[in-house]
Amino acid sequence: MTDRPVDVEPAGENVAGEAPVEEPEAVTDDAVVHDDDVELERTIGLVGGLAIGIGTMIGAGIFVFPGLAAANAGLAATLSFAIGGLVALLVALPTSELATAMPRSGGGYYFISRGMGTAYGAIVGLGLWLGLMFASAFYLVGLGHYASAVFTELNISLPFSPVIGIGLLFGVALTALSIGGTENTAKIQNAVVGILLVVLTAFLSYGVLDAVGVFGGGTVPEQFFSRGYFRVLTTAALVFTSYLGFAQVATVAGEIKQPGRNLPLAMVGSVLTVTVFYVVTIFVATSAFGAARLGAFGETAMVEVARDFLGLPGAVAILGAGLLATFSSANASILSASRAVYALSRDALLPRKASEVNLRYGTPHVALLSAGGPILVLVATGRVELLAEVASFLHLIMYGLMCIALIVLRRRNPEWYSPSYRVPGYPVVPGMGAFASFGLIVFMQPASIGIGIVVMLASYLWYRYYAGDVTLKGDI
Amino acid sequence: MTDRPSILVPIRVLEGESVPEGIPELLAHTHVVLLGYHVIPEQTAPGQARMQFEDRAVGRLDEYEEMFEEAGATVERRLVFTHNGQKTIDRMIYEHDCMAVLVPNATGPVEDVLVPVRGAIGVDRLSRVVASVFGATDADVTLYHVAAEDTTDDDIQTLLSGMTDRLVEFGMDSSTIETRIDRDRKPLDAIVDVADSFDAVVMGETDPSLTTFVFGMPADQVADRFLGPVFVVQRERASADEDG
Repeated sequence: MTDRPVDVEPAGENVAGEAPVEEPEAVTDDAVVHDDDVELERTIGLVGGLAIGIGTMIGAGIFVFPGLAAANAGLAATLSFAIGGLVALLVALPTSELATAMPRSGGGYYFISRGMGTAYGAIVGLGLWLGLMFASAFYLVGLGHYASAVFTELNISLPFSPVIGIGLLFGVALTALSIGGTENTAKIQNAVVGILLVVLTAFLSYGVLDAVGVFGGGTVPEQFFSRGYFRVLTTAALVFTSYLGFAQVATVAGEIKQPGRNLPLAMVGSVLTVTVFYVVTIFVATSAFGAARLGAFGETAMVEVARDFLGLPGAVAILGAGLLATFSSANASILSASRAVYALSRDALLPRKASEVNLRYGTPHVALLSAGGPILVLVATGRVELLAEVASFLHLIMYGLMCIALIVLRRRNPEWYSPSYRVPGYPVVPGMGAFASFGLIVFMQPASIGIGIVVMLASYLWYRYYAGDVTLKGDI
Repeated sequence: MTDRPSILVPIRVLEGESVPEGIPELLAHTHVVLLGYHVIPEQTAPGQARMQFEDRAVGRLDEYEEMFEEAGATVERRLVFTHNGQKTIDRMIYEHDCMAVLVPNATGPVEDVLVPVRGAIGVDRLSRVVASVFGATDADVTLYHVAAEDTTDDDIQTLLSGMTDRLVEFGMDSSTIETRIDRDRKPLDAIVDVADSFDAVVMGETDPSLTTFVFGMPADQVADRFLGPVFVVQRERASADEDG
């Protein structure tokens, strides 16, 4: 058993006079140990960790973005997804090191607040909470598109577009379910991810064989950079939302068994898995239809691709998979947002009340509502691309700062910092991770960048007002 | 080793489960590992539940600890917030090298104890638990075996008298030990039926298999259907001594 002492001493009080909760005494493979022999059991294994990562990510990249990305970048959208995957990997490696050194709930927020101080921590933590709301809203709008496609499939024509209405409905349902439900959601999530991977593997294998001409179809390759090189990068910035999930593994780092082994495997493994699936999906989709036609299908383009290959059964299978995937992504993001609220309130950056647990259901109803409520407002805007980019913006800021926090910690090398996994290629990998994260932001739409900056400013001002005296930084 | 064996007593401390009547007296001669645990849904971070419930849970455990100590037991205690109660219980058995887990149901003074014996494997640990819990009391112990068709009476006699010898070795009075044998019955139903006229049951845990995976451990099923306390004696954990 690896007993590790934790030597960070948070201090100070917020406006309401609440101090950060004291740090645990030790962190073991099976539990987080506080004084008085109070322990927090670790219960999520490697499979559970992978399911969180893959389940959060795969919904967006495969079921929402192919049409949009192809419209933006043509066949080169394949490259955009590959770039996104590379950036995610460059960040996932340093994140793994930080997570094994500090396997506590809160993920990126925790690492940055302990490594770089409360101000950065507050910006990232509040930004993460809001970023997850934007992400959930994005998934819910995607879910709305799939649900409306079901109506179209059944030849029910509605006098209005049901996309936003359905998104809102599911938003309410998910929040209510998380508050009142005590079912074993992790097992369901694992099963859903398993089913998705099987359906997609079967579908993509057929698609690849078809694309290379095995079934006699064969397609004429079109010009790769049909929309120019610059569009490849702006598209990479747009679709980066498909890679946000691995950091959600870090938000439950405090509950992962054998964190030294399972955290890096779950994070890096889920990034590699989804990258392969994304790149193959875009390749198959664009070779079936050509980028221009694919782009015209919009959010549910994959349904048309499946119909082209396998007829109605294919379309139905992908419709079902799309509903499952976007639903599980939205669910995972709402739960992560609630974990982020808990981490902030534990450190007195938000009122303690915010992480209160419901006596009847044992669930954090305040945190869940404070995630679910704003999500509905965001869903109502219905702006898929904007929601996606703001979510990515806020995450990318966190990713960049995590890489910097790693470099800071390595250089100061405080006594309490002893990660069991060390990132290869230091300092090049974390340096490139930070550079790539901030670099990708430049290629976003001005509106997304604007909203992102406003959120960061608001977070900073909140910190100055509410918790200016709280110090969370580890002794470095 | 006639030292006090460790007995794990898991209590769902925040869900109204408390130490039932008679249990502290029952465990007076043992080393009690008192586990207070609270199972929370997956939506909730364990630390979140701790922030809110720690004080209340600690207060209750203080009370229980005192009850056991007054009765004469030595006590160690743990408080765990968990998503998975079974994982926590298993970890405690391992970390404290517990001989048995008690399913704590209320009881009066225990006069008759039923000890179902399945086979020669595990007899040593079973005897040790029985002897140390009941050796110093007036309780009568009945060793019970449900025989399969192809087992001869001699086999059973060897098994049960072997166990009687072990108990005497551990300091029990042989006059308090009886044996009883039934044939042609389903062991589980037989045990539950017979147990009705006893105050407590001590039985071994079964090796995990497909049947136990589907229907649950027989010991757990007995515990569900029998109203008194049940000691489930644990298999020896292979690596329990390696790193403690």
